[in-house]
Amino acid sequence: MAFTLYSLLQAALLCVNAIAVLHEERFLKNIGWGTDQGIGGFGEEPGIKSQLMNLIRSVRTVMRGIGCLLAVPQLEGWKIPGPWGPCN
Amino acid sequence: MAYHSGYGAHGSKHRVRAAPDPPPLFDDTSGGYSSQPGGYPAPGAEVAFNVNHLLGDPVANVAMAYGSSIASHGKDMVHKELHRFVSVNKLKYFFAVDTAYVAKKLGLLVFPYTHQNWEVQYSRDVPLPPRQDLNAPDLYIPTMAFITYVLLAGMALGIQKRFSPEVLGLCASTALVWVVLEVLALLLGIYLATVRSDLSTFHLLAYSGYKYVGMILSVLTGLLFGSDGYYVALAWTSSALMYFIVRSFRTAALGPDSMGGPAPRQRLQLYLTLGAAAFQPLIIYWLTFHLIR
Repeated sequence: MAFTLYSLLQAALLCVNAIAVLHEERFLKNIGWGTDQGIGGFGEEPGIKSQLMNLIRSVRTVMRGIGCLLAVPQLEGWKIPGPWGPCN
Repeated sequence: MAYHSGYGAHGSKHRVRAAPDPPPLFDDTSGGYSSQPGGYPAPGAEVAFNVNHLLGDPVANVAMAYGSSIASHGKDMVHKELHRFVSVNKLKYFFAVDTAYVAKKLGLLVFPYTHQNWEVQYSRDVPLPPRQDLNAPDLYIPTMAFITYVLLAGMALGIQKRFSPEVLGLCASTALVWVVLEVLALLLGIYLATVRSDLSTFHLLAYSGYKYVGMILSVLTGLLFGSDGYYVALAWTSSALMYFIVRSFRTAALGPDSMGGPAPRQRLQLYLTLGAAAFQPLIIYWLTFHLIR
């Protein structure tokens, strides 16, 4: 697999988008990953599941704000000048 | 300094020749400029002075002064923006190396089995720079090793008559992208497992970058001794690197908090360390096998 920097950006954008579109009410609640179901104890260790749920919620919040602007160059198909690779 | 005297002599000759002719359009104020040492706001005033002797044209002098002040302003702005994203002091810590450290660290990367003490030393809560502590990670070796790897890849491809400049750029960016992916995966793992340690992003970048040394050694042995030599070197450097990573991460994760935390978190830390170590031989093989035919 030969990567270019631009393909890394594309892949990162697609992954972040995939996390952001997980719908809170329709989907996450049904598999028990809603953010209001997990915050049980205020003990020392948050545990992997609550960390994951926090991460999903943060990604969704960030993407709704700044992330949409960052995705515009990719969606519009703008060519960014520079040595990004053969498939710009 | 030799430059300055050369141009000064030129300028004086120029002025001596121009003195008998009365300048028709402009006043010859070049003498006036050189007699005002504090006339320019830019710190590049010395350079502006020397070139003024060469030109002797007042309009160009003004343009030169304006350009140098703009350049210094731009430089300040770039510094300020850069400081907001990357703390240059923290970065300087990773490049504070000397020859003895580099030699010993390279030896440690190739043969880590006899090293006893893997703890990073502190002095008053501040970690010692790599110059004084062999166990401290640095970014000098990974950077140099990356550049050497790119050059070596170009040479290997050239020997097989498969070289072209685009392939070189592709090789470089592929290697860089894999390291960035590994650092991101490690950061994600550290966040999910809530590992409390001193491992910042640059530390992880340093530890991930040490695999370039293994890649260089494998490719070099492959070029010198053929395919068998490549696999032997690959096995040796992979196992050495895996041992190095496991020992370094164990002491880094447990060091500041010697209790270690509750059992599930320790298990997650262990899985993370083992996963990072197991990933190294795969990526070394993936990035170098196409160079050895």
